[in-house]
Amino acid sequence: MIQNVIAFVEHKHGTVRRVSFEAATQARALADKLGGKVHAVVVGDGAQTAAEALKKYPVDQIHVSDDTRFLENAVDALETVAKAAGNGLVLVGNTMLGRDVGSRFAARVDCGMNADVVDFTTDGGIAAVMPKLGGLVITTCALDGDFGVAAIRPNVFSAKETSGAGEIVQIPSSGKASAITVEDEVEEAAAELGVEEASVVVSGGRGMGGPEPFTTILKDLADAFGGAVGASRAAVDAGWVSHGHQVGQTGKTVSPPLYIAVGISGAIQHKVGMRTSETIVAINKDANAPIAEFADLLVVGDAFAIVPELANAVRDAKAAHA
Amino acid sequence: MRPEVCALKILVTVKLVPDTNADKRIDPVTKRLVRTGVETVLNPFDEYAIEAALQLKEKLNDGSTVTVLSMTPATGKEIVRKALAMGADDAVMVSDDAVAGSDLWGTSVVLAAAIKAQNADLVLTGTQSTDAISGDLPGMLAEKLGIPGLTYARKIEIADGRVRVQRETDNGYMTVSAALPALVSVTKSANEPRYANLKGIMGAKKKEIKALALGDLGLTAAVGTDGAKAKLTNVATPPVRGKGQVVQAADGAEGAKIIVQFLKERKFL
Repeated sequence: MIQNVIAFVEHKHGTVRRVSFEAATQARALADKLGGKVHAVVVGDGAQTAAEALKKYPVDQIHVSDDTRFLENAVDALETVAKAAGNGLVLVGNTMLGRDVGSRFAARVDCGMNADVVDFTTDGGIAAVMPKLGGLVITTCALDGDFGVAAIRPNVFSAKETSGAGEIVQIPSSGKASAITVEDEVEEAAAELGVEEASVVVSGGRGMGGPEPFTTILKDLADAFGGAVGASRAAVDAGWVSHGHQVGQTGKTVSPPLYIAVGISGAIQHKVGMRTSETIVAINKDANAPIAEFADLLVVGDAFAIVPELANAVRDAKAAHA
Repeated sequence: MRPEVCALKILVTVKLVPDTNADKRIDPVTKRLVRTGVETVLNPFDEYAIEAALQLKEKLNDGSTVTVLSMTPATGKEIVRKALAMGADDAVMVSDDAVAGSDLWGTSVVLAAAIKAQNADLVLTGTQSTDAISGDLPGMLAEKLGIPGLTYARKIEIADGRVRVQRETDNGYMTVSAALPALVSVTKSANEPRYANLKGIMGAKKKEIKALALGDLGLTAAVGTDGAKAKLTNVATPPVRGKGQVVQAADGAEGAKIIVQFLKERKFL
């Protein structure tokens, strides 16, 4: 039976990713219902700094490892903490790193793994709730056994600071050699907020006509909201914007509170990647575009005229509140 | 890597998925996907892995081979044939009723056993499937096989018994390498998958597709629905999203005004 919850903390040189604070906060809620403890696991370069940031969250113990091996350090640390706890649900972010670490831990201890989790139930054991088939169905999966992994969708669970004062515990170095050699790391773009984590996504499609609008007017509107720029497959396939921005069946699945689709027809490929967004606003010149069937609001008009005006209005409205 | 041979055995895992361009429906009673009339296709993400394997084979040009592996019902044969038509040398299909309903863990156990039986030097996978979309299988497989797992590769090189990849990150890439045998998941940025030409399609008909059942893999663990560690307990259909408002805007200012009003009503502004 799972009672304890273990949050895996993603960070970059000590700066913790928001989804990990969400995991830590959610871990407390689950552990309280299951009658167990909350652990956080932080590894790698900057782990001590990240652990200090975790102290503001409701975690009982923060386990720190300075082991800098790539991926293997995280899996080893999680295994150590989980086995010492006797049982545990490991929460990772549904991110590139979270999926890698969570899946390896699940295979190592032979437990179930649920991806893209948006909710949990705790009646008679822990179960994860996930939209599947692009939100066509909502499935619930029980995690049997002593261990389990849930990759939580970023931006769904809240992150709440508390007066929690987690005890920092050092994980002794394993002294193991790394099977994977990291030769270099290159940052090509400024650390942008990814579409999966943004609370507002402004996506462009074929109707944008070329690459420029993605870095000018769509970026401007996204910035006004503090959000991220997304794209349809058509725009990515045309080479207007990189694949990392693609929302849809062969891209990323997003469900932000607000999704703004600009010049996107709403083909099924795109629809399954974003239809679980809370509120969908579309701007399109065609009133009969398929997106009219599932957008909460479709404004029919010239996106190139509307979007800059909208960005200004959003900035004005935000300034009025500030 | 098997030291006595230079040529590599490259293995690519592939999956059968419902057509990504089909508008999927759920049977309101069974809550299952209506499969009638929905074509199945080769998982689009797997095509990048196949292409990467073929490019490596061509570049190495030393007798290295490409084998496709699929855990699929017998109906998956056409999908496997597509990979063969693209240029893979042979195929292995694990088709067994006992694997139906396997969760991620069960799938990783079966595929890892099948990969081990093939004695592969390099395993290539897609990053995810378009139906499950979890993206967790590559990591699980690497761990089950006890080999390095280099995920999200957009560039792959083989030299001196090592594989080196450019691994995509959230805002760039990192270069990572490991000794073979290793597993690499291949992203969409890696290549442009080739089309099978007529010669390839004709040639694929003569290529061997080996069928294996669970018994052939010496598996003792229970997989399938009964062995699942993550057990499906409920399937619900979400409330249907109603058709929203459609408003014509005369110009940019009016369009923006309509949206701002809407966002204020919904407390976004």
